[in-house]
Amino acid sequence: MRYTARDLAARARERLTSLQEFQLMVLTPDFDSRPIISFQHVWKTYPTGTEALRDVNLVVPEGDFLFLVGPSGAGKSTLVRLLIREEKPTKGKIFVEGVELGRMKRRKLPHYRRKIGLVFQDFKLLPNLTVYENVAFALRVHGEPDRLVQSRVAEAMDTVGLSGKEQTYPANLSGGEQQRVAIARALVHAPRFIIADEPTGNLDPATAWEIMQLFLRINARGATVVMATHNREIVDLLRRRVVAIDAGQIARDDRSGRYHDEVTKPQIRAQ
Amino acid sequence: MKLRNLKFALSSAWQSFWRNLAVSLAAVLSITLILILGGVNLLVGHTFSQVVDGFRLKVSEISINVADGTPLQTVYDFRDQLTADPRVATVTFITKEQALVDFKADPNNAVFATQISGNPLDAKLQVRVIDLKDVAAIDLLGRRWSGVDPVDPTNYQGDFVNRMLELSSWLGLAGVGLMAILVVVSVVIVMNTIRTAVYHRRKEIEVMKLVGATEWFVRGPFVIEGVMTGLIAASIALSLLVIAYQPMVDRFHTDLVFIPLSYDPSYITFLARDLLIGGALLGALGSYIGVRRFVRI
Repeated sequence: MRYTARDLAARARERLTSLQEFQLMVLTPDFDSRPIISFQHVWKTYPTGTEALRDVNLVVPEGDFLFLVGPSGAGKSTLVRLLIREEKPTKGKIFVEGVELGRMKRRKLPHYRRKIGLVFQDFKLLPNLTVYENVAFALRVHGEPDRLVQSRVAEAMDTVGLSGKEQTYPANLSGGEQQRVAIARALVHAPRFIIADEPTGNLDPATAWEIMQLFLRINARGATVVMATHNREIVDLLRRRVVAIDAGQIARDDRSGRYHDEVTKPQIRAQ
Repeated sequence: MKLRNLKFALSSAWQSFWRNLAVSLAAVLSITLILILGGVNLLVGHTFSQVVDGFRLKVSEISINVADGTPLQTVYDFRDQLTADPRVATVTFITKEQALVDFKADPNNAVFATQISGNPLDAKLQVRVIDLKDVAAIDLLGRRWSGVDPVDPTNYQGDFVNRMLELSSWLGLAGVGLMAILVVVSVVIVMNTIRTAVYHRRKEIEVMKLVGATEWFVRGPFVIEGVMTGLIAASIALSLLVIAYQPMVDRFHTDLVFIPLSYDPSYITFLARDLLIGGALLGALGSYIGVRRFVRI
């Protein structure tokens, strides 16, 4: 079932509580529209000689929710680093919203990163700052006025369900709550797409589900989500787009996939 | 927008200074020590330049002695010729009588004065030369003048003047050299101290960069913190130097009577200006270099 943008906006206002409910919220990306992200024959070789990515071709349409899966060292993190332009490809081109990242000037980079929401496994919160200050940080960096910062932070805190914890320091929060703060920070400037690198890696299964609900809700509001993960249970249950990377190459790209290839059994791959 | 960024940079610099108090104090201490050294160098340089200036003033003036019996008109003509010379600042004609009065008035000559009968002194033209280099040329002009006393033509001491010139240029050079070494050493020390401070905050910098901060947005608070550190250090160094300045001059004056050292309170304003600017620049430069490696996107 396809939703119009109006449907999605209306739905996004409702708080989702169950898996069944957010399964209905599947935003069907339009693969024919101009892609928001596109990898064209991308190679990445590190100075040590390690070939992290080999001839990767990938198209991510606007509104997509994409899981990047694969064993450790397969190249998922390199792909994420290329996307946030911490690294440049050795060969090939990466386009984001039509702009080639490899040719982007250094002074343009901060402006590019302001369009992205980033979420990491280790949360990357600043321990000296309160929850409020951590979330507001992304807006302060953009030089936004105080009034706007206040209203945006309040909105983001409400979205992640942490209203009332603004003055707490990260150390006094649970892992799940810390990741919510990180998500609030990633959301607060209303980015066009979210990149999450193992966002549930440090969380127990129940908390991981809560965090996933958040991501789905963000996606339902129209943001594109690219998530690198090892969480098989979540990938298998959600049945979203799965791009499997193995030894630096795209091994599989299923529009409604599972963590492991249904043909190649995990037991066999493990051997 | 720029003003908001400045406000943010100022408040985060202030917070960071107090949050990392131990490292901040280490930076303040090292800059203070360097500025004290620099300040001592400035004060010593100033005191010696005062001494050298005193000597310069003395040696830039020569007396051309007038032979007895020289017509007054000849003296006036020569005086006018000297006055018109661009190398000459002033020319004063001192008559024999005036020379005797001056001689007697000098307490050093009290014993001699009582034994003098008649007036053995020459009339003289006291010439103040603008540039020390030209004293020798003016002296030569005097010696060639027809009215000069052939026995004792002038009081010019060429060797002494040359040595003074040499000494003052060496002193200036030594001061500049010492200052240059101090600047290099201090920038390295400050840079390393601040790099330690920055290293503690590399995670914060990483997050700043990931959420889209520009290089200057990240660097700004550190540079402002460096300026703050430098200004605090300069204030401490200045206070200590001001307290110690007069007692030290008095002490050396007693020990080295032959060097006319003097305390010059008016120089403190210049010292304050130099130390505050120096401290702020050192702090800013140290932070700028110290933070560069971490800030680069």
